[in-house]
Amino acid sequence: MKGPNQTSNLLRIARPHRKKIIVILLLTVGWSLSLICGPALVAYAIDQGIRRHSERPVEVAVIGYFASALASGVLFRQVVRSVTNTGERVLQELRVSVFNHILSMPMGFFDSERTGRLVSRMTTDMDALENLIQQGLVQLVSNALLLLITLCVLLIMSPILFLFCLISVPILAAASVWFKRKSAVAYMSVRDAIAQTMTSLQEGLSGVRVIQAFANEDVVVRGFNGQNRAQLLANMRAVSISARYFPVIEAMSVFTTAGIVGIGGYMSYQHLIPIGTVVAFALYMGNLFSPIQQTSQQFDLLQSAGAAFRKLDSLLNIEPPLAEATEPRELNAVGAICFENVTFTYAEEAIPALQDINISIDFGKHVALVGPTGAGKSTIAKLIARFYDPTIGKVSFGGIDLRQASFDSLRRTIVVVTQEAFLFDGTIASNIRMGRPDISDIEVYKAIEEIGGQSIIESIPGGIGANVFEGGSTLSAGEKQIISLARVALIDPRVIILDEATSNLDPATETLVEEALTRLTRGKTLVTIAHRLSTAQRADQVLVVDNGIVAQQGHHDELIQVPGLYSTLNAAWLGVGGSKLD
Amino acid sequence: MIRRWIMLLAVVSGIGWMSAAVSVPLLIQGAIDHGIVSRNKDELLKWTVAILCAGLAQGTFVGLRRYFAFLVSYSVEADLRNRLFSHLQRLHFAFHDRIQTGQLMSRSASDLTQIQGFVVLVPLTIANILILISVTAVLFVENWRLALLALALLPIIPFMAKLFSAKVFPASMSLQRELGALAEIVEETLSGIRVIKGFGTESHQEKKLKDSSEKVFGNALSAGRIRAHYGPILSFLPLIGLALVLAYGGTQVVNRTIPLGELTAFLLYVNLLIAPLQLPAWIIGQGQRAVASAQRVEELLANLSTIVDPINPKQFPRNGRGEIRFSDAQFSYHHDDEHSPDLEQNYILNKFTLNVVPGSSIALVGPTGCGKTTVARLIPRFYDLSSGRIEIDGIDITKVSLKELRSIIGIVFEETFLFSDTIRANIAFADPRASIDKVMKAAELAGIAEYIESLEDGYDTVIGERGFSLSGGQRQRLALARAIISEPRILILDDATSAVDPTKEQEILGAMRQVMRGRTTIIIAHRPATIALADQVAYMDHGKVLATGTHEELLERFPPYSDLLVTKSSVQ
Repeated sequence: MKGPNQTSNLLRIARPHRKKIIVILLLTVGWSLSLICGPALVAYAIDQGIRRHSERPVEVAVIGYFASALASGVLFRQVVRSVTNTGERVLQELRVSVFNHILSMPMGFFDSERTGRLVSRMTTDMDALENLIQQGLVQLVSNALLLLITLCVLLIMSPILFLFCLISVPILAAASVWFKRKSAVAYMSVRDAIAQTMTSLQEGLSGVRVIQAFANEDVVVRGFNGQNRAQLLANMRAVSISARYFPVIEAMSVFTTAGIVGIGGYMSYQHLIPIGTVVAFALYMGNLFSPIQQTSQQFDLLQSAGAAFRKLDSLLNIEPPLAEATEPRELNAVGAICFENVTFTYAEEAIPALQDINISIDFGKHVALVGPTGAGKSTIAKLIARFYDPTIGKVSFGGIDLRQASFDSLRRTIVVVTQEAFLFDGTIASNIRMGRPDISDIEVYKAIEEIGGQSIIESIPGGIGANVFEGGSTLSAGEKQIISLARVALIDPRVIILDEATSNLDPATETLVEEALTRLTRGKTLVTIAHRLSTAQRADQVLVVDNGIVAQQGHHDELIQVPGLYSTLNAAWLGVGGSKLD
Repeated sequence: MIRRWIMLLAVVSGIGWMSAAVSVPLLIQGAIDHGIVSRNKDELLKWTVAILCAGLAQGTFVGLRRYFAFLVSYSVEADLRNRLFSHLQRLHFAFHDRIQTGQLMSRSASDLTQIQGFVVLVPLTIANILILISVTAVLFVENWRLALLALALLPIIPFMAKLFSAKVFPASMSLQRELGALAEIVEETLSGIRVIKGFGTESHQEKKLKDSSEKVFGNALSAGRIRAHYGPILSFLPLIGLALVLAYGGTQVVNRTIPLGELTAFLLYVNLLIAPLQLPAWIIGQGQRAVASAQRVEELLANLSTIVDPINPKQFPRNGRGEIRFSDAQFSYHHDDEHSPDLEQNYILNKFTLNVVPGSSIALVGPTGCGKTTVARLIPRFYDLSSGRIEIDGIDITKVSLKELRSIIGIVFEETFLFSDTIRANIAFADPRASIDKVMKAAELAGIAEYIESLEDGYDTVIGERGFSLSGGQRQRLALARAIISEPRILILDDATSAVDPTKEQEILGAMRQVMRGRTTIIIAHRPATIALADQVAYMDHGKVLATGTHEELLERFPPYSDLLVTKSSVQ
């Protein structure tokens, strides 16, 4: 894990590349200059050559023209190459550092952040930056330079005509400000409308069985059509803004040309300016207006990239609150888990989830956490694994405060496992070794054997080499549970925290899984978030959690003797049919 | 069709825009030759005003073209999406079993966007082709030698542009693929974050992502390299044309063979041609993508539902009470699959016969894969039998309309799917016009009314992904209320309690007992307490009913039944 002093600012990633960035800017300036030469050379040819009936300046201008064309080609190529090179490198580093930053966050972060939102930081937002680099960055930078340099050239060629050109500036500026403001709002509502269409599409498709079961296709389709129409309208609102803005730019471009021809022509009567200058000005109008137009067209690109940039920056600025101690200690191999006066409150919640808990779990004991949903069972489990630190008090293992323990020894000693396994893309073996490439297939087999899972794994075509897909849709629930337990067997931790499965298995598999669990947890401390009566019955100790406190503790047999929450739960568990079976 | 007229308007505006754009250099030429060079104030004014008018026309038409082109393309997209969605909504279950939602999503999103992207280019392309033709004509009429020089190199542009898009398209596709692979790693890591954190294997995922990001980097670079290669050539060629015009035209003007204005117009025209020359490659690429997308969309639309209404639908008897009768039902999930023909062992139901007395309830029990869920799915015709028949109240279910059939059946699925909508809309799903009283009554029966009323917004509380989240038991009860709102004769409860915390099971059982009253009910369950709700129990294995009787009877005289239940809740 990375320490807390990770990149907290995007610019920090770009800083090592600053020399390259300066080179890129210089190259872009050179490229823009080479593009600007053309009309000036034409003006030179007209005024020095054509008007004076001398061919020499025309030849000079033509050679200059060829040279600038060649230079622009070479420079353009270099600019594109180095922009992609540096831009993509920065982006790659950004991807890695955002991802590592997310992974360094404590568990609690993932409870409050929706997975989808974090995924889109790494996908949609990164793609927005990617698009900018691949499609727009070169143009945006060079257009800005082109505009600036053209204005400078015009000013030098003829200040008066330049001043006239400036008349169009307020109109263009007003139109652009209007466009920027209006289209920002419009694009936002387009994006919202698309997101909504996608949501109702997604819902309509994943719920199609329910929809058909209730013969409700017509109503759902009508609802979707409405959504779809809203998207069309949002799109058209955005279009109608650009359909008003672009005409202004195009018309202003021609109007300014007309003005240059008219006023410039009249001025040439008075010999205030040469004709060549008028022609050059007319030719320069392209350089002046097409950057504006192109920038407006790429406005959406720029804006999404900007929004993405801000979101990523604020994500990188969140400091992971659980840091490794400065002088981390190794946890002892054996020891009791102790809660001393532990109170814990989740961030953004007022009421503590746990209140003044004092418990001690001796090494090697099997403990069942029992209680209603939301009572605090899983919070206790999370504190043992140091997914969170207690707000008040301390949690220790073998006398060492978990806050002092090194992350590494913490992870080797205490493992959290959900029986409903999450599987990654890869093979069964790679899922069991969970990314420890130093572990051989033989060791993987040994781990499976240790928990008695051979028969189940061998019954899968391909054995441990069989491919599994994310979520493990091709495997049965029993197979997934065995894989999940084999993972733990391989690590051989001292403490296992188990979130028991709620789903039903067929009886034969259920027996196998229970057997595997028994073998796995022999001689280890086991803390189970129990959903079954049989688990609580088997445990050495039952902790009944209610409303953030440990309401009762003791063995199942003792607890059912006394009236209280446990005896009530016990009765509920047995239920109507269950009690008859006992 | 109105859309054709809008397209026509877009094309006409495109032609208007094109005419104005092409006329500007000619007007400038006129202003220079007749106004400036010959020092004629009136002429200069006249030509200047003409340029202004052309500017006005160009601006107006570009706006109209844009508006109409987008209008037609977006409505094509919206229309196709509607068609696709309503088509998918009506396709049979087996289709949805085979295909992934993600795939359907990308058909309806990115494929339709590709088609839209093509349609919007049509008017612009027509206008640009006309610009090419008319500018070439004007230049040749004015001065064919100069025209030859100006245009000599330009025909290379479309070829280069085509080469460019042929190269850059696969490159950007493979970049997209790598980005997709990276997204998968991110998605997988974040969905499995509890496992990763639990086992402390962050560094492995970090390495996976780093490798993937390096691949993205490599692909992005090669896409960039192609851009760096062709971009400069494409912008270089017109500049050579301009230099040639200046070289030859310049000496011509010096020798007074052609006027200065004509030279200027030529220079302006070459600039005007650059964009139209690059466009065909673009539109060909976009066209290819659009055609591929259209084919994929077409493929989806070509899937016809295999479960359809009969031609002359019958109706169930008004006073029917929901008698269900399966006679010799044969069924296999693969019976339309060429690769696994109708072999005996593929049948999930084999000569299945069952009679459910109207108004009574029956629990289907048996080991995993025995076919009990299939029985439940066949009654509302989610699938059709291979042979045999199913009758409700004496009518073969394939002889009535799907709407009629499904309206007399209420169903609670194993996985409760609720819509992101208000609680009221979710309960009234089968009968959207149901009065609030009716909704409240259903909620009351399902035992959730009290809870709903305790919420701040009551029945108007929005639930689902972005709304209020309910517990498993609450969701189940909501699903129960939804199943009974339209007063179905038949109720199917498919493993409705499996997702519920066992400590909460009792509360649901009470609600189930309520809603089952007076309806023919089929219960599929694992837990004894749920099974015990039913009047009768049918023990199934290998697609057949092996024994029927009450819970107690089967416990007594049918050992496999008690074996199954005992292992379930065994106390070791």
